[in-house]
Amino acid sequence: MDTFLQIVANGLMLGGLFAIVAVGLTLIFGIVKVINFAHGEFLMVGMYLTFLLSTGMDVHPYLTAAAVAPALFVLGALTQRLLIQPLMSARDEHVQIFATVGLSTALMNLALLVFGADIANTPAHGVRSQVMLGEVRILTGQLWVFGAAILLVIGLQLFMKKTRTGRAIRATAQNRAAARLMGINDKFIYILTFGLGAACVGLGSSLIAPLYPTSPTIGTYFVLIAFVCVVLGGLGSIPGAFFGALVIGLVDALSGFYIGSDLREAVVFTIFLLILILKPSGLFGTRMNLSHVSP
Amino acid sequence: MTLKTLLTATAVSALVAGAAQAEVKFGALYPFSGGLALLGEESFRGVELAVDEINAAGGIQGEQIELVRGDAVDNNQAIGEARRLISREDVKAILGTYSSSRSIAASQVAELSGIPYFELGAVADEVTGRDLQYLFRTNPTAETMGIMTIDMILDEIAPGLGVEASDLVIGVIHEDSAYGTSVAGHQEEYGAEKGLNIVTVQGYPSSTVDMSSLVLDLKDRSVNIVLQTSYQNDSVLFLNQSAEAGFEPDAIIGGGGGYSLTATEEAVGALMEGVLDVDFTQYAVNTEFTPGLEDFLVAYQNKYGEEPRSGHSLNNYVGAMAVLEGIGAGEGFEPDQIVAAVKAIDIPAGETAAGYGVHFGDQNQNDRAMMMGMQWQGGKLVTVYPRDAAVAEFQIGD
Repeated sequence: MDTFLQIVANGLMLGGLFAIVAVGLTLIFGIVKVINFAHGEFLMVGMYLTFLLSTGMDVHPYLTAAAVAPALFVLGALTQRLLIQPLMSARDEHVQIFATVGLSTALMNLALLVFGADIANTPAHGVRSQVMLGEVRILTGQLWVFGAAILLVIGLQLFMKKTRTGRAIRATAQNRAAARLMGINDKFIYILTFGLGAACVGLGSSLIAPLYPTSPTIGTYFVLIAFVCVVLGGLGSIPGAFFGALVIGLVDALSGFYIGSDLREAVVFTIFLLILILKPSGLFGTRMNLSHVSP
Repeated sequence: MTLKTLLTATAVSALVAGAAQAEVKFGALYPFSGGLALLGEESFRGVELAVDEINAAGGIQGEQIELVRGDAVDNNQAIGEARRLISREDVKAILGTYSSSRSIAASQVAELSGIPYFELGAVADEVTGRDLQYLFRTNPTAETMGIMTIDMILDEIAPGLGVEASDLVIGVIHEDSAYGTSVAGHQEEYGAEKGLNIVTVQGYPSSTVDMSSLVLDLKDRSVNIVLQTSYQNDSVLFLNQSAEAGFEPDAIIGGGGGYSLTATEEAVGALMEGVLDVDFTQYAVNTEFTPGLEDFLVAYQNKYGEEPRSGHSLNNYVGAMAVLEGIGAGEGFEPDQIVAAVKAIDIPAGETAAGYGVHFGDQNQNDRAMMMGMQWQGGKLVTVYPRDAAVAEFQIGD
């Protein structure tokens, strides 16, 4: 029983980790309608920034989020402005997806060139210490990630629902043409949203870096799982991504124990395929709005 | 006696005379560019040092050796370069290759041309498993690694813990590419042969970000010896998450990869203390068992102005020395003469700079090739097994 509770706790904590990566991904997809394949590499860049800042200035890695999240915002905004926006008028919008795949490969190889294939180890500053909840062991860092993921989801929801900018973002997502008629600068909204999505993963990277060794390829695994979470929760839904991540975290942990570590990915991706076939809109998704296709 | 025969005879004697004055050419086929260039170059340096040493001592069969480089940047180019070395450069044999897949591709070409091919560094089982006549391998393999880990349990760990080896509960975990899978397969097979109780064999992708379920599974099964064949990320993850789950096996034995690297030790700190590792001979080894190692290090430093970046140069140096000296002791450089000469090589363990002997057995694999058992002690990776090669005590139990 203790083992079972421990596995459930591990699964939930893993879910929190996936959630904090998945939220930015679903935000960008929901608004800009671009699947950002470079999202994992954004995470990797954020983790290296956290590593460099926290070792260089000898500060707690969490504090570096104050610099890393804005830096990632700029990276995301530039990606939208310089890479995606010029391609928005392309006849085939898959071109944008290929562009993010290209960006992903370029960033990964750039990191290999700059940092080499060796792992970089962000000092833990106490976040790898354990707390006991009854018989269950959890790292304080995992709790922080989990808490941050919840706050991030609530914060983004409030921002989208209550602020003028948030409403403008939703309006653009719902109907780009109508939003433009209402005087919304849709290009600016897209740049802002891409930046926000990247800043979310920037925040996540500062929290994740002290828990995991950083390497140029760290993003590939995270982003694949994050895609599954996003699809499960419903593409574009922020709370959906969060709950999707929790489900995937639990499935991952339970199948890893009861079925075997060789098969856990098979289980996770079988679920992914089943959702695509049986409920393509996901748990929280609404029907796809394709109004952005016509200008 | 026709005119044609006469002309041929003249041409042949002219060629032979020419050869006697010229140097004898050998091909060196390594990835010199692309993703594997660093360790490809490092491997080549070992061959270069061996050739320098042999040439300085008068060459082989009275001739100086000239190395012709071929760049095996990918499998296709490995094949193309092997063809060029054989047909245009007229090399007598090829040495290589560091990468297993390139070795497998290029050695096919050499086999068809009847040119001997000496593999000095690639570890995949398939390199020597193909019944080739002209392919020889001097270095230890994935199978050697699997067998060494099991031998270390039998010879040191079980006696050190004061228990019967069959009473140990062993868990084998591995990253799921060809490397981890083949080493784990040999551990399972050889372990069963020796009557060991291997309770689980589990693979996982090396890019994984969570091994907590795997750790709990091992803990649940009361595993006390863990064998892990892994890269860096998954070694760190396993050691960290084991500590976090309160899983404390009596011994962890890594299979090369992540466990041999200082960066891994830096990442996990004190958790690395006492962890065991089986890999190619490294430099913290008893030099009485590895005669020539110190000279090798001096020669390396003189030629390249730095320390060796890994053990690859050493293993390629040892293989090249054994093979080239073997050919030197033979007669002539025709393929069959070379094959006969290297088949006569008989160097016992403890007489090369890497410690292992050289003798080609079944499938032309060096049946004396071995790895070393090492342990992290005080932040350093030191050789502890076999005892002849050890520079420190094997630390196990209390």
